[in-house]
Amino acid sequence: MLACLIPAVAGAVARFPKPDFTSGYQYPEIVHGVPFETLWSWVDVVLLVVMMGVVVWAVYYNPNLASNPNFNPNPNGWLSKEKRSRVAVVAVSVVSVLYFGFFRSGCVCSVGAIQNVVLALTDSSYHLPWVVLLVFLLPLVAALFFGRVFCGGVCPFGALQDLVNVRNLRISRAVSGALSVIPWIYLAFAILYAATRSQFIICRFDPFIGIFRLGGDVGMIVFGAVLLLLSVFVGRPFCQFLCPYGALLGLFSRVARRKVEVTPHPCINCTLCHDVCPMDAIRPPEANKNPEHRQRGMKRVLLYMVMLPLFMVAGALLLASQSQTLSIAHKDVRLYTLLQHADEPLAEVEAFHEMGRSEEELKVKVEEVQRQYWIWSLVAGGLIGCVVGIKLLSLTLKRTRKTYEVDASACVACAKCFNYCPQNKKIN
Amino acid sequence: MNKKIYRNVAIVTAAFAIALAVMLGVSWWQSRRATPLQTEVMTTLKELNESNPDNEKLGEQIRELDLLSRRAYFTQERHLTAGVWILCGMLVVLAVCLRMYYKDSMHLPDRELNPVDEWMSKTLSRKYLGWGAGIAASVALVAVLAMSPSVRGWVKSLVTWGDGQMSEDGGLLAADDGGGASDTLLADVKADTLRVDSTLLAKDEAVQDSFPIPKITSNAFRGNNSSGKSSARGIPTSWNLKNGTNVAWQKTVPKHGYSSPVVNGRNIFLTGADQQARELYCYDLYTGELRWTVKADRIPGSPPTMPKVNADTGLAASTVATNGKVVCAIFATGDVMGVDMDGKRLWAKNLGVPDNHYGYASSLLMYGNELIVQYDNNGGAKLMALSVTTGDVLWSKSRKDKIAWSSPIVAQAAGQQAIVVMGNPAITAYSPSNGQELWRVECMSGEVGASPCANGNIIYGASEYATVVAIDGKDGTVLWEASDCMPECSSPVATKDLLYVATSYGAVCAYSTEDGSVVKQHELTTPFYSSPVVVDGKVYLFSNSGKCYIFSAGKDFNLINSFDTGEHTFATPAFTDGMMVVRTDKSLYVVKKS
Amino acid sequence: MERRKFLATCGTLLAGGSLAAMGSVLAVKASRNEGDMMWQIDPEKCVQCGRCQTECVLPVSAVKCFHANQVCGYCDLCGGYYRANVKELNTAAENMMCPTGAIQRKFVEEPYFEYTIDEELCNGCGKCVKGCSSFGNGSLFLQIQQERCLGCNECKISKVCVSGAIQRVPVGTAYKLKEHA
Repeated sequence: MLACLIPAVAGAVARFPKPDFTSGYQYPEIVHGVPFETLWSWVDVVLLVVMMGVVVWAVYYNPNLASNPNFNPNPNGWLSKEKRSRVAVVAVSVVSVLYFGFFRSGCVCSVGAIQNVVLALTDSSYHLPWVVLLVFLLPLVAALFFGRVFCGGVCPFGALQDLVNVRNLRISRAVSGALSVIPWIYLAFAILYAATRSQFIICRFDPFIGIFRLGGDVGMIVFGAVLLLLSVFVGRPFCQFLCPYGALLGLFSRVARRKVEVTPHPCINCTLCHDVCPMDAIRPPEANKNPEHRQRGMKRVLLYMVMLPLFMVAGALLLASQSQTLSIAHKDVRLYTLLQHADEPLAEVEAFHEMGRSEEELKVKVEEVQRQYWIWSLVAGGLIGCVVGIKLLSLTLKRTRKTYEVDASACVACAKCFNYCPQNKKIN
Repeated sequence: MNKKIYRNVAIVTAAFAIALAVMLGVSWWQSRRATPLQTEVMTTLKELNESNPDNEKLGEQIRELDLLSRRAYFTQERHLTAGVWILCGMLVVLAVCLRMYYKDSMHLPDRELNPVDEWMSKTLSRKYLGWGAGIAASVALVAVLAMSPSVRGWVKSLVTWGDGQMSEDGGLLAADDGGGASDTLLADVKADTLRVDSTLLAKDEAVQDSFPIPKITSNAFRGNNSSGKSSARGIPTSWNLKNGTNVAWQKTVPKHGYSSPVVNGRNIFLTGADQQARELYCYDLYTGELRWTVKADRIPGSPPTMPKVNADTGLAASTVATNGKVVCAIFATGDVMGVDMDGKRLWAKNLGVPDNHYGYASSLLMYGNELIVQYDNNGGAKLMALSVTTGDVLWSKSRKDKIAWSSPIVAQAAGQQAIVVMGNPAITAYSPSNGQELWRVECMSGEVGASPCANGNIIYGASEYATVVAIDGKDGTVLWEASDCMPECSSPVATKDLLYVATSYGAVCAYSTEDGSVVKQHELTTPFYSSPVVVDGKVYLFSNSGKCYIFSAGKDFNLINSFDTGEHTFATPAFTDGMMVVRTDKSLYVVKKS
Repeated sequence: MERRKFLATCGTLLAGGSLAAMGSVLAVKASRNEGDMMWQIDPEKCVQCGRCQTECVLPVSAVKCFHANQVCGYCDLCGGYYRANVKELNTAAENMMCPTGAIQRKFVEEPYFEYTIDEELCNGCGKCVKGCSSFGNGSLFLQIQQERCLGCNECKISKVCVSGAIQRVPVGTAYKLKEHA
């Protein structure tokens, strides 16, 4: 797996002349190896496709699966027993955690690929690798057809959380409804910092990467451990409340061609699927209890529709007003501030002087960075305002449900509900 | 039954896991920044070892401690890793037990389901979201207001009003201190009278009664800031080395060197070198006792064989610089070192062996904690500032100039104290804080050996086969140029009215600082390498053959006295209260009224 | 119900269309690059601040000291091997520069010594590099060992590198080495 290279060279000072060896000493030949990354990257992509395919098959097409209307159990087949109906998804989860997680140390992942894509769209000098592009696009394409099959078990983060999960403690729907804007805010900031070439915050604050690598930033490992312990009792806390890519996938799976159904049979409103769902994606039946005048409801909806652009403008302006403060995340801005305020000689300042860079040149650069920050915080702020507005709007819409229904944007196709549904146990 | 077992196992493992996690956390916290080889004991031992080259035991102690701390570090590391794996195992057991415990909790509810009131939770959700967004927005708004200049100014005025009274006293003091700073001549004199280090005062308390510590220092080549002027008084105008009239003492210097002496307090510093060793000497000003000698040896990067140098330059041509706490010396090998007043070497390094066909000769200069080194050699010229106390490079500026043997000075340029450097082909002013170029005037050519000089805002440069030039320090405009009388090695010195220049063909002349016209010229037919020094209204100047000339420093520029000292003199003398320190070809002597 | 289905189809088409558009724009971009990108230290910019040792996500940094034999002066008194002001030129603890004993030397012939780096022991602290570049030829330098580097999406060291010496470069030039000036 090694490839030899033509090395680039840097000059050195010659204080001492090259020695004249008389003993026939030969300079040693040193070859520096490079892992054949291309191969592994393509293995990643192929596995991604294959594993998503397995989940799709397991959730939609597996004739042995109890939720399938064509369910025709073969008492001798190893997948025939009902309790194994999730086996394929669990198997994919295990493979994902072992391969994408521990073996490939969780990099590049689809979640982080958002930032590379943003960077590629904004910075023409950035080279977007094919693999990163595919890792970003394929789960979205899959979501358009089959919902969040990527989250189900292919994503090592989701898989890891799902594997350790035993209970589903819930917080109030009112709170979780409000909290569901967090992934979008996270996404907005990720875009802001990636587009300004400051930081990849999704990678920087990735809670599980430290666990997969068995090392790294201690703060993040502790955060990951806490999140993992939490996911023993709360289903997929990262996916529910943090994951920005999950937010994107949810958006696409809302309009997916096929959506996950708990059972092809009539729902008996037993609440079992609702209790077991790690994402709280199964909405209980609702009879509209407080009948309100239709006109009043309409008025409220209209009001929020009018408010939406206002929210966007307000968000954009507010975040842009903070762009100076935010820009400290950029290395050059930080260096410039250090140069202005440093009392003791810092390594950064010393290096700056040693390299003979001038403060004027840096200042010009910093001004350019801050201008970019202004533009991108307008965009990010607008996005945040838009998300908050849409969320508020969606919270004003009323819908009645007679039975338990799957919310396609939250469902991660983990197939947990399938064998909890008593209706699935019926044999055609 | 089974369920109970799972539950109990889960509880026990959970309790152990928590305890272990806490222990590991504490242990990690302790070892988090562990640098086993950089403990205080270790560093002190290593320092001791360096200063006591003959103590074998210190070395052994270091080795023992080194081994112990390494062992301890790795044991702790192993324990931590093992602990983490045990913790992981426990967590797996816990997860499995919990999974088993909750396995069959799937059962049909026995009651009729009550549909949830989703609308209520949605209303609540809306409320939370609204509040959250509102709070975030108001925080942002407050931040915007706090950042706006008008509010900031208002807050600032509130804060500063409080300690306004307190700072007034300080302000008065500061004003008093800097009162005469506008006039550079005065400032030079003020810098002269820098307080001598108090530790030195305390140490020599016993002898202090008989010999007062002189207040006037001469911290670098040609005095403080390399100005060529001293505020010393009462220097004799004649002396005799043969019979000892007006000579306090004379000593032979162990190794040869063209570097000039430097005086701070009771200490005289100078360097000497030959093929075997390069040394820094400290003599007692009053007794002439050689207080200590520090060798510039065992320096990594120092060349094993001496670079080829001209006999007129030698290996120790650069004058040292001091600030009363540290004295720094540089040699033709590129070795530079800092030594404290007791002769303890604080640091030493090699700046890269200079590629210099005559030999490196630029003198050192101190500015605050910076040691300024003009390193103009073949294959690259640069100006460096090293930390006086540690020798670390604070900044380094590459120069577009060719090789030169000139030394830097401190002068007023671009409205600030600046480092002014003369080279080929330019005179350049640098900011001492970061080495930023303030201005650059290309006016020189050939081999530049003399150093620039300054008076007030005007900076003068002169070099043989080039020019004599006066530059306005404010912006680097050339005021006048002349070519009547130009020095080779001797550096000029300027007062308000006159610029004094001594040449290697025997002419000594005074230019008018107004227009560059020659006011008066003496044809003395003896070469001058040593530089003239203006002191107590006179100009002191030594010829290579050892003849001393004393002129009156003024429009008349009369020769007051001249006599042969009998020893070849190339170095520039250093002046302090009532005393002059002269280095000759072989010896060092102090002139003092008997 | 029909209306809802129509809206859903519209939504799918919209989402699919935007995805296809973005995908094609990005595909054009992706087709323009030349192979994998790797993190690399530019030895000319590196100032050996010591952060490579502590900031890498790996427990022992992927940054290692490399040695350019062609540049080395083969000195006995090596600024990267011995601490400053050593008393004797031997391997006693008080004389050694490397905290992990990763730099080793072998006698070649009078007065030359060959220096090699034991990559397993090196932690990328750069102490020897500093010593070598201030006193010697600068034949020791820090570089990222690609077989160890995880190739993080964003190198953590690059974000704190004081001299901006860490960049992403095409795989063909992953190792920037030193050569006589």
